[in-house]
Amino acid sequence: MRLTPRLAAPRGGVGRLAIQVGIAFALAMAAVGMIAFSAADAWVSSRIDASLRHHTAKYLAPLDGHLVTDVELVERIGDWQRRKVLSERTYLLFDRQGRRLAGRLDLAPPAPGLSDVRFYGGGRASQTGRALATRTPDGSLLVIVQHSEAAENLHALLPSVVLLISLVAVIMGVTATLLFARLTANRLLETQSAADAIAAGDLSRRIPTDRLDGMFAVQAHSLNRMLDRMEELVSAQQLFSSNLAHELRTPLTRLRTLLAQGDSGRPVPLERAERECAAIIAIFDALLRLAEIETGRLPRVMAPLSLRPLLEDVADTMEPVLADHGGRLEVGRLDDVTITGDADLLNQLLVNLLENVATHTPAGTSARLSLERDEAGALITIRDDGPGLGPGDHHRLLRPFERGAAAGDVRGSGLGLAIAQAIVRFHRGRLDLGDAAPGLEVRVQIPANDPLSAVVPAGPAAA
Amino acid sequence: MHILIVEDDPVIADHILTGLHQHGHDATLARSGIEALAAFEPSAHDAIVLDRLLPDADGLAILDRLRSKGSTVPVLVLSALGSVNDRIEGLDVGADDYLTKPFDIDELAARLAAIARRNQPRPEGALIEVGRLQLDPASHRASFRDAALVLNRKQYSLLAHLMCNADRLVTRSMLLERVWAYSFSPTTNIVESNISRLRATLLDLGCDPIETQRGAGYILRSDRCV
Repeated sequence: MRLTPRLAAPRGGVGRLAIQVGIAFALAMAAVGMIAFSAADAWVSSRIDASLRHHTAKYLAPLDGHLVTDVELVERIGDWQRRKVLSERTYLLFDRQGRRLAGRLDLAPPAPGLSDVRFYGGGRASQTGRALATRTPDGSLLVIVQHSEAAENLHALLPSVVLLISLVAVIMGVTATLLFARLTANRLLETQSAADAIAAGDLSRRIPTDRLDGMFAVQAHSLNRMLDRMEELVSAQQLFSSNLAHELRTPLTRLRTLLAQGDSGRPVPLERAERECAAIIAIFDALLRLAEIETGRLPRVMAPLSLRPLLEDVADTMEPVLADHGGRLEVGRLDDVTITGDADLLNQLLVNLLENVATHTPAGTSARLSLERDEAGALITIRDDGPGLGPGDHHRLLRPFERGAAAGDVRGSGLGLAIAQAIVRFHRGRLDLGDAAPGLEVRVQIPANDPLSAVVPAGPAAA
Repeated sequence: MHILIVEDDPVIADHILTGLHQHGHDATLARSGIEALAAFEPSAHDAIVLDRLLPDADGLAILDRLRSKGSTVPVLVLSALGSVNDRIEGLDVGADDYLTKPFDIDELAARLAAIARRNQPRPEGALIEVGRLQLDPASHRASFRDAALVLNRKQYSLLAHLMCNADRLVTRSMLLERVWAYSFSPTTNIVESNISRLRATLLDLGCDPIETQRGAGYILRSDRCV
């Protein structure tokens, strides 16, 4: 286990996040303000231009069926000047030479069409306005100037409004973030304290989910599931270690007893001592092999493999072993099945299962080996006519260091079936122990593991 | 034979030196990679026993140096690193054999003898003969004097291996590696059972050349095949 120095947990503040969100919000609001402002500005300008066109058209409209003359225009402008009470609009008429014929604004004649003009009026400082200059039928220039206080004021307002909006936005952004962070932190607090408790060694602690909703609840549930699995794995590992310790204790105790005989002057039975050492070494060999298979550290030689010759070869090898045990090994139906697999591991699997018959059944027990092709791949069956297993043993025996009640003083590594199981899992298959009435039936299903879809499994298959 | 032992653990080194002396071999000890490179003389040493976890180097790096200098001296790697990967690594670098600790001294001696007297490659399909015992690879037929019978695949490979190594000790683990190509250690007496079956078969031919070396392995005696 790796121990990291316990650092003071950082306070659950939001730090830079609030400022960052506040600034981002302010920038966004400033942009919105400017867009709104220019839209309003454009609208006002377009209204002024429309109004200028409207009045120009009205002044230049034909009178009693003939085109309006300059004399009539001068008259109209004079008439308007007399009648006006309050206006932001004024009319000017210039002759071809640019001399002003009518109107009271001191302005040089602008080019025909719409333009911005600057003028002095009523002794005040220079003012700006919008002008529309149009040629009259007589060739003079009619200029209508509109001076808009509103548009000007709108322009003057722009900087302060944008600034104000941004300021309000910063304050709102920071506040909202702080508030949101606080609410989030409150919800995460439960997770944090559960994590701290687990780090301190309490693996049974879970994150309370009753007060959580939405994504927080989803996350807490998924973390809790992960913790369940971890707790399972850790306790399996602990059980494995303590079983291993017990497993080693027996041969070590016997070994010590044998050696102690030498102290008391009697000869040490070297051959028996040697056997105990061999038992210890066998346990370690099996352990290393199991780890090799489960962690996928074996160099993988997954290749298309014809199972029939492999089974025939194993049968040739194991037949004399079972014969020495007083039984027989019969070979039943053997289909031609090709799978993608590791020949060395599958040899070990089959030898292992047949060795179980030779070591864990009464003398004279026979076994039958068969291979069938099914939709998924291969089904290998090893069935013996021994006493079989007790009802609860079928599942238990697949775990490391578990032995059948009938094992008696037969000493194996206690890992045989665990290794067989690991090999089968490595091939993404399944191993089942069943009742053959009488005897035990071991069924191994191995999928074809089509090379096209075969990805070499990196670790132990999920249980 | 004169053998260079490269091993830093004094107890194990002493065990190997004494054991090999008893088997009639001379041995020189090197305790580190540098010592090994300095002590090795191609003309003087018939084989090397090489540990992997040396104080100054991985034994395989030493082996790599030797091989890159063109040395073909037979090397047996003797290591506590015994996974399939470790073995393959060792054989890839050019080890002739790989034995995992803990080991039996007879096993080590037998394997050294085997790698030091490398067999000439046998032409494919040629008849294997020891005395009057003959084995035909094409038909798996064994014959002795006037009698003949056909062996099954396993018995054929087993007998072929023993005949090719006639008069030399072949251990159980060597047979498991070379006849069965198993990388695991079985818990039952697979080799014993198969050998006794083979001996029974050969007795039917009137020939009993296989001798059991208690605790060590088997020797096929050529003088029993006449």
